[in-house]
Amino acid sequence: MRLEKPVLTKRIPTWPWGDPKDRHIVGIDEYRKTGGYDALKKALAMEPAKVVEMVKGAVIRGRGGAGFPAGLKWSFLAPPDGKGPRYLAINCDEAEPGTFKDRLLVDFDPHLVLEGIAIACWACQIDVAYFFIRGEYHHQAKVMERAIREAYDAGIFGSRGLMGGTVKHAVECHLHRSAGAYICGEETGLLEAIEGKRGWPRVKPPFPAVKGLFGRPTIVNNVETLAAVVPVVEHGVEWWTGIGVAGTAGGMPSWGTKLMGVSGHVNRPGVYEVPLGIKLSTLVNDYCGGMRGGKRFKAAIAGGVSMGVLGTDQFDAEMDFDIGRKYNVLGLGTACPTVFDEDTDMVMVARNIARFFKNESCGQCTPCREGSGWIYKLLCRIERGDARTSDIDLLLELGLSMGLTPGTTICGLADGNNWAIRTIVGKFRADFERRVKPTFVPVHISSASVR
Amino acid sequence: MSWKAKPSATMSIPRRAEPYCTAEMKARWEREVLPKYAVKHGALMPILHDIQHAYRHIPYQAMVEVAAFLGIKPADVLDTATFYEEYSLEPRGRCVIGVCQSIACEACGHTKIVDRVRERLGIEPHETTPDGAFTLLTLECLGSCDTAPVALFNETLHEKLTVETVDRLIDEATKPGGAASANGHGSH
Ligand SMILES: Cc1cc2nc3c(=O)[nH]c(=O)nc-3n(C[C@H](O)[C@H](O)[C@H](O)COP(=O)(O)O)c2cc1C
Ligand code: SF4
Ligand code: FES
Repeated sequence: MRLEKPVLTKRIPTWPWGDPKDRHIVGIDEYRKTGGYDALKKALAMEPAKVVEMVKGAVIRGRGGAGFPAGLKWSFLAPPDGKGPRYLAINCDEAEPGTFKDRLLVDFDPHLVLEGIAIACWACQIDVAYFFIRGEYHHQAKVMERAIREAYDAGIFGSRGLMGGTVKHAVECHLHRSAGAYICGEETGLLEAIEGKRGWPRVKPPFPAVKGLFGRPTIVNNVETLAAVVPVVEHGVEWWTGIGVAGTAGGMPSWGTKLMGVSGHVNRPGVYEVPLGIKLSTLVNDYCGGMRGGKRFKAAIAGGVSMGVLGTDQFDAEMDFDIGRKYNVLGLGTACPTVFDEDTDMVMVARNIARFFKNESCGQCTPCREGSGWIYKLLCRIERGDARTSDIDLLLELGLSMGLTPGTTICGLADGNNWAIRTIVGKFRADFERRVKPTFVPVHISSASVR
Repeated sequence: MSWKAKPSATMSIPRRAEPYCTAEMKARWEREVLPKYAVKHGALMPILHDIQHAYRHIPYQAMVEVAAFLGIKPADVLDTATFYEEYSLEPRGRCVIGVCQSIACEACGHTKIVDRVRERLGIEPHETTPDGAFTLLTLECLGSCDTAPVALFNETLHEKLTVETVDRLIDEATKPGGAASANGHGSH
């Protein structure tokens, strides 16, 4: 299953259509010469509500991790009330370990993202857009800043109205650099950061679409989600829904193309554009040139560490938004798998991921702040060989107790920790048991009373 | 992200006569930063970026000055300045080496990269060499997992690192005019 032609990577040479060595930053002139901003022109000739209908019809599911349909989200935005601007926040925090797909778009084709932003702002009649970029993306911030300036100079944004005054509705677009905090990728943590505060996620409801940035209605979308709006407007809903798969396990459909960034033990790691629903094994063997050194596949992180891992027998998992229902992971996430070969120590993997969550917990909710530290210490102990069997159960108990699903935390970071731990321990329990000493149960206590 | 205990009432902060927020900085913030945000507080992160960039840390006195400039409480500035990894209360080295320690990089051998930097510089992660030349940080995923292991040297990302490239990069930074040298630009 391959795409006939690149869509999001049309101007970014990518295997099998081009060689990554030929990549360069596409400036506004080249962008326009290759059909850029035509979709915006088309959208501006339509009623805004019709554009929202189109995005709804295409079921563009959020590419930032949660898979929420963009059109539906847009339709929740509170209508203008004359009391102030309404906002779009573009999420380029991309700090989920294993994820590097948004970077590709920003690195080489920033105007594709800006065109998507302009279309979204027209469709939702949004006044101000903030491009929120992680602090570590120094180069990318510069590329984006230049592209925004080019877009202003060309009249795409600015007080004259979108596209040099084609319509009256005017949009301002600003870059906001973050400063190194994974939690600011969570949509309300992100809003706090733009407001200049520490990135503590907010309690929801109210959702951002009702009360977001500076207390005003706000849409938060991922970079790739907005980029995907461009080809949908350009080629239509029918074309988009001809790519990808319908719900394969009762969920909403997974239409369209997806950027998948593969890392880890494969021969040609990188970002590939593929139809949703591609098998992980196809992605690895076809696109990435197979496992490195001809080793056997052991496991893969489904799409960012928060999603948990696919087991050795799940190499053929279809990479679509129903993956969670079928393969006991949290979901597709960012669709950027990290692949591990047979020599990989899953205790190391779990310990590394646990350290990540311990470092990045914002500290607001006790189960997440304390639990993440405790899980990390337990895993260090197991890795050192000092732990007992009961520690594995304690690990699971701790993991399962934290998150939005058990209802103990404010945001989904803890769910990521929960799923990483439960899937790694659950699918590779033998790796853990081999590393621990048996728990000593005193004989005078009946075993029924011992958990 | 780190959690710092903040001595409150008893704390006295070091002061110098010359302000950290220069007239040029303030003029630029007025012109370019404030208009981007609906409330002044919104300008705090870009302003802290400038301070960190100029002084390689956020001095307490600068926090008080920024608070006065934005009409917010110094505590609000402290709150934000201590939450984000990129802002630091202690002066960082002229060359900050940030090695990625997340899963793709560890799976592809980041340990020997960190170890080499420790060995060469004689410091542990999150320490600065006594001469103020280098700071070593271990960071989480830098968004370049396909070219693991990776590290940032100030603002430049270096990919597919080996012990040899780390040696070369440190040598280059140490040379006269290099990022870590006292006469170098040492910019972030
Ligand atoms: C802890 C945490 C971190 C997140 N990090 C990111 C991120 O780096 N980039 C992103 O686009 N979405 C991230 N998200 C998802 C956002 O909250 C939000 O769902 C998304 O930006 C919405 O855009 P979309 O619907 O276009 O995907 C994160 C969520 C959580 C809970
Ligand atoms: S779950 Fe964790 S990261 Fe999310 S708000 Fe609570 S403490 Fe912060
Ligand atoms: S894990 Fe190191 S760059 Fe992503």
